[in-house]
Amino acid sequence: MLMRPFLDLQLGERIITLMAALVLVLQIAVVAQRWIITHIRIFAIQSFLLAMIAATIAWFNHAPHIYVAAALTLVVKVILVPIFLERLVVRMEIREEIKPIINVPLSVAISGGLTLLGYVVAESFYHPDEAGLGHNELAVAISLFLIGFFTMINRRKALTQVLALLSLENGLFLAAISLTYGMPLIVELGILFDVLVAAMVLGILVYRIRETFESMDVSRLRRLRG
Amino acid sequence: MLLIALLLIPVATAAASYFARRREEMEWANIGGFGLVALAAIALVAQVLAYGTVSLANGFFYADALSALVILLTALVALVCATYSIGYLRDDQQSGELGGEDKEQFAQLRMFYTLTPLFVFSMMFVAVANNLGVMWAAIEATTLVSVFLVTFYGKVTSLEAAWKYAIIGGVGLSMALFGTLVTYYAGHLLAGSDALAGLNWSVLAQHAAQLDKTSMRLAFVLILMGYGTKAGLAPMHTWKPDAYSEAPVPSAAILSSAMLNCALYGLIRFYILTSRSLGTEYPSHLLLLFGLLSMGISVPFILAQKNLRRLLAYSSIEHGGVMVVALGLGGPLGTLGLMLHMTFHTIAKSLVFLCAGNVLQHYRTDLFSEIKGSVIRVMPLTGIIFLMAMMAIIGMPPFSLFQSEFLIVRAAIDSGHLLTGVLFVLFGTGVFAGALWHVGGMILGPKGDTPIAGRRPWRDGSLLALAAALVVIGFWVPGPLLNLIRGAAQVVSGQ
Repeated sequence: MLMRPFLDLQLGERIITLMAALVLVLQIAVVAQRWIITHIRIFAIQSFLLAMIAATIAWFNHAPHIYVAAALTLVVKVILVPIFLERLVVRMEIREEIKPIINVPLSVAISGGLTLLGYVVAESFYHPDEAGLGHNELAVAISLFLIGFFTMINRRKALTQVLALLSLENGLFLAAISLTYGMPLIVELGILFDVLVAAMVLGILVYRIRETFESMDVSRLRRLRG
Repeated sequence: MLLIALLLIPVATAAASYFARRREEMEWANIGGFGLVALAAIALVAQVLAYGTVSLANGFFYADALSALVILLTALVALVCATYSIGYLRDDQQSGELGGEDKEQFAQLRMFYTLTPLFVFSMMFVAVANNLGVMWAAIEATTLVSVFLVTFYGKVTSLEAAWKYAIIGGVGLSMALFGTLVTYYAGHLLAGSDALAGLNWSVLAQHAAQLDKTSMRLAFVLILMGYGTKAGLAPMHTWKPDAYSEAPVPSAAILSSAMLNCALYGLIRFYILTSRSLGTEYPSHLLLLFGLLSMGISVPFILAQKNLRRLLAYSSIEHGGVMVVALGLGGPLGTLGLMLHMTFHTIAKSLVFLCAGNVLQHYRTDLFSEIKGSVIRVMPLTGIIFLMAMMAIIGMPPFSLFQSEFLIVRAAIDSGHLLTGVLFVLFGTGVFAGALWHVGGMILGPKGDTPIAGRRPWRDGSLLALAAALVVIGFWVPGPLLNLIRGAAQVVSGQ
């Protein structure tokens, strides 16, 4: 049988772990780079890897509903959202670099520390006797979540904050898949719909902020106090 | 059927407003739609009182006394605010607060009259969704729909407020989603959990004792942070004064009463699961901490406040804290206090916001220092109702909020939380003094040279209706409503 090697669960787990590791590397790459277009593309690749992880799990576990989740992720987070955001960047004619508050080497070191924290938290969830993915994926998911938070604080551009929010959601997707093989389909649908609408709503807001303030720097938003 | 009607009517209303050609058509669509929603909500309450729970589509939609109470309050606030908006937006249109040209004005009105029903739709969805993941999606939808209500006036400050609202809300809700996910994990070994039912609240609540305890601990913290952000608990409250002071007043009234209830509703659903799984002690400590912190933080901001609507927003933060403290105290007394307070606060808070809207539109300012000439002399009806509503909101007897807050203090002392009781009274007094000082000074005083206000039937009519409800409910809660409130408290305390 041709398909036989692909039914080997161990192999599946290795493939998934490899892809999850790539997702984590990409998240740290986000912290290190300075261009918004690169950031959007990294997000798209990351989402693509997540969709592939979902598809791999669906393949090895014979769970057709995960294919649907993978396909939806592909459509929404790999195609629609990145295209929308790139168009926004082109329309707003953003050319400047993003200057993080904490410099790049230190930021990368902090991300490393957060990854470590992710592993510590994930350890407490690990029940070796249970079916389910290894704790590597969960650790990566929690790290994505934490690094997403960090990016949000570290970069004061409106669009990077939107992207950081989206990568928080990517972390959650990975966590859902590694803990319970994904949420029920209807929930997954609701979440993706919200992600799509949120990206558009925030995109429109970013555009209007840029028009009004002639900058995307959210540290300029400080009129309302007290 | 009723559950579906509650969702379909607002959507139909939104569609009707979107395709309407004239302002009057949108106004009537909104009034008619929300009138029907209110009738459906009352019918649902009757059904829930008769049968206990109502569910539909294999338990996908589910309503018990707690959901019915939230739905009833949302529907009533929506109806009153829809009536008020008519007068409010006509005034805005005449005074040129909206865009300059007719076309621009119409587009803005259409946005308002379309988004408001969608906003109500998403809040109804929160209350009727049984699946916790779907409930999360609905709560996220309330934020997404209302962002453009906050930017309604398109000012620099409204963009800033909307940005904070969307981003802080988004981060909070991603934590809540994480919490939901961990809850799903905690229950994924239960029988039949692979199906959709695995996240259904009614199923999880029945098997709460078997949920994985470590996971539930983590889930509750995440949910508290997440839905706490949406409810504006300190220290995640910073979006609240901005959003409330930039949104048009009828939207702010809905945000500060009905949407607060929805966020707390999400928190309460998870509290029930957590307390049945881990016992009440663990969630109770966390809730008391966040509740008291929210109450405490609002005190200095209210004492030093210069802006009317921001003051009301801090008062909302305080009342969010009050309700979370009541939830933390738990037990039959604490939960009864919580449900009563939710009901009373919804009426009183939407009323003060609508009064503030009248003041804002007449004086064209929000700042206490620039409101010259006392409200009670310039606009007698608004002045009297405002003063009364303000006394109610700060918990002065004989108004209803005094009763619920008194009940909560009693629950604190009875259950041995003396420190909580003392702090609760202390913070309450601080807010009492600050709010009375600022608003009392604004309402009472010499006449000044501000012109006397004319008649404003839409707005004053809605004020009068709400004020009547507030007075009546202070002395006599109708039997069915009281049964509903008791039922909701029972859902939470389990006794």
